[in-house]
Amino acid sequence: MSVAQALFLIFFGAAAVWFGIVVFRTHSMVRSAIALLFSQTAVGAMFLVMQAEFLGVLQIMMMATEMSVMAIFMVMFMMDPGGMGKMDMTHQKRLSLWAGGIGLVAALAVIWGAGWTGPVPPVPGAAEQAAALGRELLGRSMFIFEAAALMILTAMVAATMVAIAPREEDD
Amino acid sequence: MTLAIILFALALGCYLIAVLEDWAVHGRLDPLRPAVSALALLGREQVLPRKSDRLFFEVGPVLLLVAGLLAVAVIPLAPGLIVTDLATGALFLNAALAYVLVALIMAGWGPNGAYAMIGGWRFLGQFVAYAMLIVMTITAVAMRAESLSTTEIVTSQAALWNVFYQPIGFVLFVIAAMGLAWLPPIDLPTGGGDLAGGVEAEYTGARLAVLRLARLVIVLALASATATFYLGGWLGPWLPAWAWTAAKTLAVAAAMLFLGRHLPRLREARYLAVSWKLGIPLALANIILVGVIALVVPI
Repeated sequence: MSVAQALFLIFFGAAAVWFGIVVFRTHSMVRSAIALLFSQTAVGAMFLVMQAEFLGVLQIMMMATEMSVMAIFMVMFMMDPGGMGKMDMTHQKRLSLWAGGIGLVAALAVIWGAGWTGPVPPVPGAAEQAAALGRELLGRSMFIFEAAALMILTAMVAATMVAIAPREEDD
Repeated sequence: MTLAIILFALALGCYLIAVLEDWAVHGRLDPLRPAVSALALLGREQVLPRKSDRLFFEVGPVLLLVAGLLAVAVIPLAPGLIVTDLATGALFLNAALAYVLVALIMAGWGPNGAYAMIGGWRFLGQFVAYAMLIVMTITAVAMRAESLSTTEIVTSQAALWNVFYQPIGFVLFVIAAMGLAWLPPIDLPTGGGDLAGGVEAEYTGARLAVLRLARLVIVLALASATATFYLGGWLGPWLPAWAWTAAKTLAVAAAMLFLGRHLPRLREARYLAVSWKLGIPLALANIILVGVIALVVPI
């Protein structure tokens, strides 16, 4: 990894963490959703810096859609989506602090404990990466993806059923 | 040097599309009109709405412009005349244009006005309609080219343009692209007679100029993407390569700007219903058809 790559990686990593903090520091639900989006976009940019082109582009694309849809649900279901009433976004602070702290220690332990062996092998070209991903999706991971797809389809049908207002019975 | 040429082509293309839009709306071809309008916008007073989400209000139009510019970066003007020839170019175009949605939601939410906000959320409804169609038609194009790189997609059409190879995909892509660029008849996010300008309602002066410029860049990106994916990009006899890309892009842009104006406005719920009930089955059929043709008679 070159110096420029390392610098970009640090920059986007810092951006991801910063936007993650903004999610909880704002009172506005929409700002919170968009901050989460940009945090995830920064993670996508980190993939791009690490030459995982397909994954990076996919992450950047998918998050824009998902977070926007999440934003509209927040606006629909929260009483103060614009944060005009200075609603506090945090709750159960003591528990959250402990959970966050333990999570951080666990992550650091994994980073330090993992056996990082030598330099990584050269990254294959972007086209080979996409081909390898295709083989993975249609090979050993196929069952997982098919199962997930079926579950999402079931949830979509169920959500539609819940959303449809029952028709008035004729007397 | 390449970047300078492409930036010049981009600026010229946007200007010509503005002239074409003026022609589509008012029926007269006035080459000076966009310049005069731009100067008038820049000279006008900039009104700031009260109690606005200032950050979103300012960032929205700029993000829209950035999304359009990033999308243009993967479109080849001629062999070698491209900002970056990514191996995942066609997907990257889609990823960049996904931020049009984010930008319009921010621009709609920012000014704290009812019309603007409804316009922004309407675009989300529209997005759910066109998003699948764009991705699924690009899938079929990439299947034939066996690559997501935009230059390889162009060269794969040497024997036969994709518009003849996969006409269903072409029609679906154009309809979806018109939804993405909120062109009439699917222009409810900024509907003039309906929402007092929708997302544009609270923008004035230079900010409105940026918003309109970003929209022109997006129309240009989508017209050039249509030319690249379906009309053989730079391929063509006699003329130099860049001239073919330019001619095809402007022809597609003119068609997209002109045709829709003669249809009644499409409500986003109706657009959604048509896209999902008719568009997605057709897009799936297109993918299967292209797959079969590619396997049986490789052209």
